[in-house]
Amino acid sequence: MDLLATAFVTPFANMWDNPQFVLEVVIGGLLSGVMYSLVALGFVLIYKASGVFNFAQGTMVLFAALTFVGAIERGLPIWGAFIIAVAVMVLLAVAIERLMLRPLVNQEQIILFMGTIGLAFFLDGFGQLVWGSDVHPLDIGIPKAPLIIGGVLVNEFDLVAAVVAGSLVVALALLFQHTAVGRALRAVADDHQAAQSVGIPLRSIWIIVWSIAGVVGLVAGIMWGSNLGVQFSLSLVALKALPVLILGGFTSVPGAIVGGLIVGVGEKLAEVFWGPAFGGAIEDWFAYALALVFLLFRPQGLFGERIIERV
Amino acid sequence: MLYREVGELKASYAADQAIFPIRQDRWLMLAALAAAYLVVPVAGSEYWLLTIMIPFLVFALAALGLNLLTGYAGQVSLGTGGFMAVGAFATYKLTTALPGLNIVLALLLAGTITALVGVLFGFPSLRIKGFYLAVATLAAQFFLIWMFNKFPWFYNYSASGVISAPPRAVFGRFYVTGAEADPRAKYLFVLTVVILLALAAKGLVRGRVGRAWMAIRDMDVAAEIIGIRPLRTKLLAFALSSFYCGIAGAMWAFIHTSAVEASAFEIDRSFEILFMIIIGGLGSILGSFLGAAFIVLLPIFLDNAPRLAALEIPVNLVTNLQSMIFGALIIFFLIVEPNGLARLWAIGKEKLRLWPFPH
Amino acid sequence: MKRVGDRILTADRITLAFGGITALNEISVELRRHEILAMIGPNGAGKTSMLNVINGFYHPQGGTITWKGETRRRMRPYHAAAQGIARTFQNVALFRGMTTLDNIMTGRLLRMRRNFLWQAIHFGPAEKEELAHRARVERIIDFLEIQAIRKTPVGRLPYGLQKRVELGRALAMEPELLLLDEPMAGMNVEEKEDMCRFILDINDEFGTTIALIEHDMGVVMDISDRVIVLDYGRKIADGLPKEVRASPEVIAAYLGEPHGDEVPAAPIPLRRAVAT
Repeated sequence: MDLLATAFVTPFANMWDNPQFVLEVVIGGLLSGVMYSLVALGFVLIYKASGVFNFAQGTMVLFAALTFVGAIERGLPIWGAFIIAVAVMVLLAVAIERLMLRPLVNQEQIILFMGTIGLAFFLDGFGQLVWGSDVHPLDIGIPKAPLIIGGVLVNEFDLVAAVVAGSLVVALALLFQHTAVGRALRAVADDHQAAQSVGIPLRSIWIIVWSIAGVVGLVAGIMWGSNLGVQFSLSLVALKALPVLILGGFTSVPGAIVGGLIVGVGEKLAEVFWGPAFGGAIEDWFAYALALVFLLFRPQGLFGERIIERV
Repeated sequence: MLYREVGELKASYAADQAIFPIRQDRWLMLAALAAAYLVVPVAGSEYWLLTIMIPFLVFALAALGLNLLTGYAGQVSLGTGGFMAVGAFATYKLTTALPGLNIVLALLLAGTITALVGVLFGFPSLRIKGFYLAVATLAAQFFLIWMFNKFPWFYNYSASGVISAPPRAVFGRFYVTGAEADPRAKYLFVLTVVILLALAAKGLVRGRVGRAWMAIRDMDVAAEIIGIRPLRTKLLAFALSSFYCGIAGAMWAFIHTSAVEASAFEIDRSFEILFMIIIGGLGSILGSFLGAAFIVLLPIFLDNAPRLAALEIPVNLVTNLQSMIFGALIIFFLIVEPNGLARLWAIGKEKLRLWPFPH
Repeated sequence: MKRVGDRILTADRITLAFGGITALNEISVELRRHEILAMIGPNGAGKTSMLNVINGFYHPQGGTITWKGETRRRMRPYHAAAQGIARTFQNVALFRGMTTLDNIMTGRLLRMRRNFLWQAIHFGPAEKEELAHRARVERIIDFLEIQAIRKTPVGRLPYGLQKRVELGRALAMEPELLLLDEPMAGMNVEEKEDMCRFILDINDEFGTTIALIEHDMGVVMDISDRVIVLDYGRKIADGLPKEVRASPEVIAAYLGEPHGDEVPAAPIPLRRAVAT
């Protein structure tokens, strides 16, 4: 009886009593969700265009951020560091295409997935080898002052993050829908062989996609890094992006955004209102449980494509 | 001309279906068993037994469990660590609640409890496949570890939060857990358990159950038309796999580290076991052993290699290099032989059969 | 003469729709014991959908199926299998990771009873059962003349042999009704002759009722007892092969409507005159 009350009554009662607080938690969750979305975005891009589930996305975020921070620490101006980081990510994309994607091109998805796990390990070790494993604080001048909007406490930083994410999504949507490259990307995502047979060069497409994903990862890494400092735990964020993808659908860019927001809000609400009853740290597993429940009712996610198996 | 099956014509289906149809294979296996039981305990140092053989065997068991689920039945699971933890904590609760309980019984009961937990987390597999299932198993992994950390009941309200495995003996005299245990007794105990369970696994995959699993793995839509009931088959895979992983986890905690802690079974552990079966070979009993050996020996090799090559490499560098080599090796294996070391072994045997002829 | 028996399966006014498309429109089909029924029709007519409904893959929105006296609208494929219905597929649905022998052995799974504990021990009841089933599967392998590829992983076999293995797997289930979806697609003349021979032998020796979808009219006319023609989800003919061949609706469906007063004087053969 007591347990039932704690799980199903008290949290809602608390929420009812403090609507303003709930709103703040929700907004805080939305904005942390934006961060997840940024990482998930990279996943979706790669999955859409190369059919590969890139487990190393989080590590790529970390790697990109490390390069950026490293360049800044060596005295480069922000834009210079950005260009260097982008160049590094493009080089990385070329290397990945050459050394991993090309040899594994006809293998099943699960093999490629495991390849990306290997990639994650490799990048992890390599990044820390080159840049060290300390936390690198990152400050590129994003304002962090708290604001009061409509009586609710919001952080300027989070607003900037939301704007950045939004612009990225719009840019990507434009890319996919309105450019020839975008059309080629969509063709490759649909059917590799068919795309090849109309002359689309798979290899170049893959390099482009992984580079874009790398740049998205860089932006995500800069945002996360400005918030938390650039450190190893950033790559663990990748694991959190998985529930986001499930909620949103693996093949949907808007899905990544919406999924990220839902996970962000859900996590925060769960932690604040249900957490105390269970000793806290519910955030560890809540997102996955949410994804699991979602999977049972709508396996393709909110915006994903339903896969129909024909025999 | 050493390795031949000429003249070895099988006169019965039974002979054709034996585990080692080729005579030389049988001898090799018997020799390996003899070495394991007679040579290693006598010749091996404590270091060897405790830091290499026992972890190898325990990991091989866990890899075997995961291989049944992922390699044979095709259900990707990242929850291995969590299931190992269930086995470890179940054994702990059982041995502390029932002091007179024999360790073998405790292991079997813990395995069964883990099997039930596995079935519970296996239900989603009816509707979810592939990566999605992997993510669902992540839910199991994170939840289970959180649970074992959060609820003091699991560690018997111990104030320090660190619990050690109570001593237990087999045959009344030979302690296999606890401070008094002789490394050789520990080793032989683990060896026997693992060999028996490996034989059982071989029996399973050779027959009806294995075939049903592989049918589900290869084309579960078509498997139904033969009369396979997908839910039952998948749940059986989860149950048996968890049984194996639970016992592996219990032995890890009780015999290897002598401490029961959730941190030994985090997500890293799940990935480690997954790598073992990827590198060793999905869908192969032998592969589980080969993969475990590889993963256990690699860090030791990497630790000692600089010394052997007379290079001084700082410790943190070694860890990073290990990660890099690890990752590169995985990709390498996937490119060269997606079916792992077991397939390389089989190819080697093929070549040996033909030797000295080229084809 | 053949001993065609009483009704074994009745599909009564089956309606099946996907979204806006009606695949099957109130189709009623009857199958009699021991007969060979051919289902023909243009592409997209609904033939495979009909098999899928009988088999339990698709659940019709309307109509019922009566199998061996029991009437129902929907059932899971494994129930159909348990009740004696086996089938093969257009795009060979074999288990690629397994050998020919193992694939056909999976067909015996329904009849294997020993639970997993016996399997784990292996020696004893489980082994006996395994060997008994192996013996039966070997007989099927002999019948289909695929001894040489027993231990080959099916993924490596040519298409024609894969179809034969799939037939073997269906046979291993000892079905009362065998549903074959284009069993001869992609085969050359010799392979088709072999397949025809197998089908006729199966029907003859085991008395299995066979329903097959086929596009080769020569085959259809030669081996089937009865022919059903589907077009756009409707049944437009049902009868003996030579009756169906002469039916104006069938001709129109395959060849199109004649214009104006261009009515053909004599029935047009549905295939060119080629030696069978």
